[in-house]
Amino acid sequence: MDPLPVTESNQEYSMLTFTLKRLLSGVILLFAVATATFFLAHAAIPDPTLGLLGSAATPEAQASLAQKIGTDRPVVVQYGEWILQLVQGNFGDSWRNFQPVSEQIATKLPVTLSVVTIAILLSALLGGVLGVLAGLRPNTWIDKLVKAGAVVLFALPGFWVALVLVMLFAVQLKWFPAVGYTQPGQSLSGWALSITLPAIALAVGAVVMIAEQLRNAIIQADRQDYVRTLRSRGLPRHRIVIHLLRNAAPASLTVLALMFVGLLSGAIVVEQIFALPGIGALTQGSSQNGDIPMLLGITVITVVFVVIVNFLLDILLGWINPKARVK
Amino acid sequence: MMKNALKGLAVVAAAALTLTACSSGGSGGDGDNKTEGNLPLNIGNFLDVTSWDPSLADIGFDGPYMSAVYDPLVVVDGDGEPQPALATKWEVSEDFKTITMDLRTDAVFSDGEKFDAAAAVKSLEYLKAGVRSQEAYNKVESFEAVDADTIAIHLTERDDTILYFMGLGRSYMMAPAAIDDGSLAQAPVGSGPYTLGKASIPGAEYHFDKVADHWAADDFRFDPLVISPLSDPTAMLNGMEGGQFNVIYGDQSAIDLAAANDWNVSSGLATWVGLQFTDRAGTTEMGKPLGDLKVRQALNTAFNGAEMLKAIARSNGTATNQVFPADTTGNLSDLNGLYKPSIETAKKLLAEAGYADGFSLKMPMAGPFQPYQAAAEQVFGELGIKVTWDEYQFMDYMGNAPTYPMFIGVISMDGNAVATVERQIAMPQWYNPNTGLEAFPEIKAQTEKVFTAAPGDEQDTEIEALNKMVTEEAWFAVWYQANNSYISTKEFTVTPVIGMMFPTLRHINVVG
Repeated sequence: MDPLPVTESNQEYSMLTFTLKRLLSGVILLFAVATATFFLAHAAIPDPTLGLLGSAATPEAQASLAQKIGTDRPVVVQYGEWILQLVQGNFGDSWRNFQPVSEQIATKLPVTLSVVTIAILLSALLGGVLGVLAGLRPNTWIDKLVKAGAVVLFALPGFWVALVLVMLFAVQLKWFPAVGYTQPGQSLSGWALSITLPAIALAVGAVVMIAEQLRNAIIQADRQDYVRTLRSRGLPRHRIVIHLLRNAAPASLTVLALMFVGLLSGAIVVEQIFALPGIGALTQGSSQNGDIPMLLGITVITVVFVVIVNFLLDILLGWINPKARVK
Repeated sequence: MMKNALKGLAVVAAAALTLTACSSGGSGGDGDNKTEGNLPLNIGNFLDVTSWDPSLADIGFDGPYMSAVYDPLVVVDGDGEPQPALATKWEVSEDFKTITMDLRTDAVFSDGEKFDAAAAVKSLEYLKAGVRSQEAYNKVESFEAVDADTIAIHLTERDDTILYFMGLGRSYMMAPAAIDDGSLAQAPVGSGPYTLGKASIPGAEYHFDKVADHWAADDFRFDPLVISPLSDPTAMLNGMEGGQFNVIYGDQSAIDLAAANDWNVSSGLATWVGLQFTDRAGTTEMGKPLGDLKVRQALNTAFNGAEMLKAIARSNGTATNQVFPADTTGNLSDLNGLYKPSIETAKKLLAEAGYADGFSLKMPMAGPFQPYQAAAEQVFGELGIKVTWDEYQFMDYMGNAPTYPMFIGVISMDGNAVATVERQIAMPQWYNPNTGLEAFPEIKAQTEKVFTAAPGDEQDTEIEALNKMVTEEAWFAVWYQANNSYISTKEFTVTPVIGMMFPTLRHINVVG
């Protein structure tokens, strides 16, 4: 039987099915992770009242708090209530300060996202440029520089890079603030200054990884038969480079998407070093205090981001390479 | 295609900017203008404010935040002694069951309401019902507005620590209307020397606007005032070195750098470090050996607290074997030599108790206690005590540690000796769910004497006698007492308060 010809309607059907499947798997993933996290958190912190009340906890205060937050009820009942709230878009209230979890996440998320987004942009730009240059000129000085840089910079721990940056550019030179975050609405330049060093610290490892990935992909694509054919037909160099990039980009974009997820967790350390009020600091604080609703809210939001990023990646890959659109 | 890619990048960048702009609290303009006679104060605190609602706030690190926007009825000084604030003076009745307080008449809440006895009673009733603040008011029967500027606190029984706990941060007064509409957690409404500024960024920095006509404005010579929570000591030190902070919660690295930077260092005792026995009566199979006095004494003798203080806390604390803070009421320096460190003596004591070959038991362990684990392991090994460590997350450690016969504890201390008797000896706490007093009738009787003796010298004498008994009975194996330290630029000094992990604004002073 001949394969089905790729028609416009066939492509649309494939994309629709693909989109719906992706959304469904995203919802299932979200539900599964949320459920697992809920029970793991409750198993790991069987009595959160001590952490929430601190060293002054008396049995009376513990009992009073347990009643207020509902931990005196069976875990299954608590789960049922929480999942019902979640379906309605309600993350519940923090056990630490009794404010809505969603409101607190909403104030912290932009901080983390701004640092991670800038770090990703830096990585994509710098890593892309370096990777293309090295890939198109293998075994030249730029290629050797990228390879050596990849080994050295990727081996450096992120927190060490952050500390060096802060010691040099904040403490010694005083070009940037050593700690703290300025909202863009307050001062755009202040905002840029406050996230520059954290974003660079996050991006350092990612830049070399993207560069290395892109370099290898370009070199591999350059050896393909179709490139030789294009060359033999006398296609101009820049047209061939575009073809090379189209074929080399998917692997780098996949790495970039994975990096985004990785940088979200890497941000915890960087936010701590630069004292940024982001999701990382919120996660750490909530974990120390045993604020389970907050931890669950952060987990759900993170999973949503992972699903969205992966979904966008698939769309992007389909846009770059039409063959990927057809199932 | 390149053009499209650039457009795409621009869209992403714009989206990032929009996202960040969404959280903007706006510019409050509460600003950079230094008021004459005042000094800018930027504090690096260790933790974020727990809640702006005083009934939900912690005493620990919430002190500077709360004391900026709220006035308390009572404060404590560096010695833990209650001092006047909104309550100008007080009297305790002869039967110790009523405290009558005179109140200031010139304080006004930031919403315009006047502070008076009715407002004080409403705040106190709210605090008594609060999950976290109720700890101070367990023995309160009722609060009464006697007249416009007098209140009476009626107790169910004598309570020698209520004024101390009120002074630690449990007597902040709130505007009645804000209590009624339940809005305090979002927007504090107190009569404090500052109001929360609009330029504040939750979790990052809190700006405060000075109240010009505050009744104690001259005591708060800080303007502008900013408090930033930073959980990382290195970040705090970087901020101090970078000139962003004037006062920080300091670790040993900060202390080491202080002299070179012309910074002031204030240190005060905060915690005791050692072995907490939870089965002193030896009622459980695993805890049976600890029921023998000689075994507990052996454990006291085996550890060299002074050396551990040097090696682990880098001498930032005091070597003492007692739970009463050194150089305060109750602590007896003569007792410090009671258990002269000697493994040989410890082995001898164990042998006399019938444990010449040691014994086996389980103990909990978590990350923050690992610095002590190696030393403990070594000493236990020399005594033949075989310990199996059960690993826990720190959060879980607090809940599980008291279920073991003993555990490594870093336990907060109080600056008030009666509070120490209550929290460390007489009343169940998370770290001591079963006090074990029933098995020690003499100690129990002495505890009663403390609670019934006349306040002052008579009570102090009974407290000292009690401390002598529990130290001789080896109720704890205290290795040393550790300091909290605060680093300030030369314009400021900080008075540490035992019982407060970070002092309030009232304990930060301008030099000169």
